Amino acid sequence: MEAQIGLGNFLTVGAILFTIGVFGIFLNRKNVIVILMSIELLLLAVNINFVGFSMALDDLAGQVFALLVLTVAAAEAAIGLAILVVYYRNRGSIAVDDINMMKG
Amino acid sequence: MISDVTDFASLAPAYPELALAIGAIVLLMIGVFTKSNSANMIMGVAIGLLAAVTVLVIIQTESGLVFNGGFIQDEFARYMKVVVLVGSALTLVLSVSSAAEHALNKFEYPVLILLATLGMMMMISANDLISLYVGLELQALALYVVAAMKRDSGRATEAGLKYFVLGALSSGMFLYGASLVYGFTGQTQLDEITRMISLGGSGIGLTFGLVFILAGLAFKISAVPFHMWTPDVYEGAPTPVTAFFAAAPKVAAMALFVRVVYSSFEPIARDWQQIVIFISIASMVLAAFAGIGQSNIKRLIAYSSIGNVGFALVGLSAASEVGVQGVAVYMAIYMVMTVGLFACVLSLKTDNGYVEAIADLAGLSRGRPFVAGIMAILLFSMIGLPPLAGFFAKWHVFIAAIEAQLYVLAVIGVVASAISAFYYLKIIRTMYFDEPILQFSAAPGELRLVMGVTGFLVLSYYVTVGAPLADMASVAAKSLF
Amino acid sequence: MTLPLFFFYLFSATCIGAAVMVISSRNPVHSVLFLILAFVNAAGIFLLAGAEFLAMILIVVYVGAVAVLFLFVVMMLDVDFAELRKGFLQHLPIGMLIGLIFLIELVLVAVGFVVSPQVAAESVLPINDTISNTRALGQVLYTRYVYLFQAAGLVLLVAMIGAIVLTLRHRKNIKRQDIGRQVGRKRSEAVKTVKVESGKGL
Repeated sequence: MEAQIGLGNFLTVGAILFTIGVFGIFLNRKNVIVILMSIELLLLAVNINFVGFSMALDDLAGQVFALLVLTVAAAEAAIGLAILVVYYRNRGSIAVDDINMMKG
Repeated sequence: MISDVTDFASLAPAYPELALAIGAIVLLMIGVFTKSNSANMIMGVAIGLLAAVTVLVIIQTESGLVFNGGFIQDEFARYMKVVVLVGSALTLVLSVSSAAEHALNKFEYPVLILLATLGMMMMISANDLISLYVGLELQALALYVVAAMKRDSGRATEAGLKYFVLGALSSGMFLYGASLVYGFTGQTQLDEITRMISLGGSGIGLTFGLVFILAGLAFKISAVPFHMWTPDVYEGAPTPVTAFFAAAPKVAAMALFVRVVYSSFEPIARDWQQIVIFISIASMVLAAFAGIGQSNIKRLIAYSSIGNVGFALVGLSAASEVGVQGVAVYMAIYMVMTVGLFACVLSLKTDNGYVEAIADLAGLSRGRPFVAGIMAILLFSMIGLPPLAGFFAKWHVFIAAIEAQLYVLAVIGVVASAISAFYYLKIIRTMYFDEPILQFSAAPGELRLVMGVTGFLVLSYYVTVGAPLADMASVAAKSLF
Repeated sequence: MTLPLFFFYLFSATCIGAAVMVISSRNPVHSVLFLILAFVNAAGIFLLAGAEFLAMILIVVYVGAVAVLFLFVVMMLDVDFAELRKGFLQHLPIGMLIGLIFLIELVLVAVGFVVSPQVAAESVLPINDTISNTRALGQVLYTRYVYLFQAAGLVLLVAMIGAIVLTLRHRKNIKRQDIGRQVGRKRSEAVKTVKVESGKGL
């Protein structure tokens, strides 16, 4: 089964998802929730790469790497949302461009 | 497959990290289960713990690989860890007097700083892309929280949010690069990656991986073009936290940068050298010009730190042992100067609170000659005036660049250094030649102590610590080659 | 086209479509739902690559916990979404152009990626087909990678401390249930017998 799907396919999906994630961060500059979701997409893209390589190299280390990325990404999401919540409590808004307290 | 944890003696090279991890968790437990507000006591114990771990790093002379190659202890790691630990401990000392004003008087603050420091030590000792990533994230997550810890302040939470978004983006880029490198070489361990590259040669996948990894790491040292967050975060975060950001994590990220390019991409030095030279020039030049218009001292220090990273990278781009020695010396001196400068900034307190505008420093030399004097010494050192420490820091990296025949880089560096002198001198002029406007209150004892020690070290660098530091840096650099 | 390849294309097309919707839909609630769709399809891709444990973890942790956390925060924050849409179109053309160039470069690298046989032969942890994927991961995670396992535990600890220190507020005058006190209460503390004389009241 595994030989039938080429490595290039996995990497292409990873590359497209990664681009969408980066694009999402720069395009939705105001909407922090979507930025956080874009970060999740970035990490998902990376994991697809790792899993694809793990298959192509017949090596488990790629899956271990992906497992740790998943774990850390979950922690990162929790912290990101916590910071977002305190930011919202202070500002009553989640737009980053509001930020004219500091020049950007 | 025998696990390393079954044999405690074989873990000797990692004893300092184990001690720090266990200490941080014990302090957390004490903080949670004591009823009264134990923040001050825990802060004190945390400083003591960092000092003890520093001693442990120095006396624990066993080197080598631990945890099946995931962790490496060598002279380079030992040197950088000492710099990082001293930086962390000093910035904790700086935050003692102003913890309440900056909403840092919670027991979680020292615990998070300890865990961030542990992450930095793991980064410095990482010998595997996976352990590198986990160390980096341990450090970064703790820092995001610390940045936003003053949760009732709009500025601090905004700084935390910006830091988080850009930090997470940079981690994503680093990981994408790591995945390509893993795919290309089939290895995650840094020394094995080198072996596979020298066996199989380079390729487009590897080059892309390298570019993404360097971009991710450039974010972490806030080098241009990935510096966008630095001024905002430095200005918005509480001052003791800014001091921490500017000192220890920079040193750790730079150490990581050095280790990654030397120990795993050594065979393709041509490729990364160009990238590092570009980043270095861009950082030095941008910081020199952007610093000029700043009116807030924390923002100014942010640009100054971007410039300093550029100078340190001059040494790295030489791709030689002398270059690494230069980077090591530079980062140690940079850490001391930064901590001293923040001690000065934190002692600028009036009855209405802390002062951050440069214009408000007018006439500081009359009201508070000691603070003004130390600040002037540190700023002259940042400019690179002999015989202060900053001069020797720059001298080491420029010598390395000239030996590697990177004359253009060295010339641009000197010019950038001269331009940036402009804004440093402006502060000194304001302190010494303008009429006083504000009445500053006296600095707490520990700040005076930190100012005195850093000022003394910077002033007497050539006769006291200069030669031993250069020797230690040279030993550290040798261990990478 | 073989069946696995068909499913691969199905999963990846859905995943990419969902990802596009995540960043472009008007309502963040829809974004979260599309994020869940993307994760589920990515889990399918993982299954096709033989990473069964990761596929299940992706569903359990991401769909079950992270996405729900996102949904919770989106619902809790009362945000004016129309306001947030401003400026989206402003950067769109140039963003599209840069994104497209970036994408073409990455895809060229991806399509041209060749694993040299020499590298594949030197694999550190060859996948053993005779045991299940979960068992294989378990065999290395607690031995060879125990350092990373412990370090990941510290990362999660930091996340926990962070979330608590940032968002927990101790409110005063709040009434909490104390089960021990409730159960340990005696009749004498709770009930008082009063002798009421007739015609007088209390």
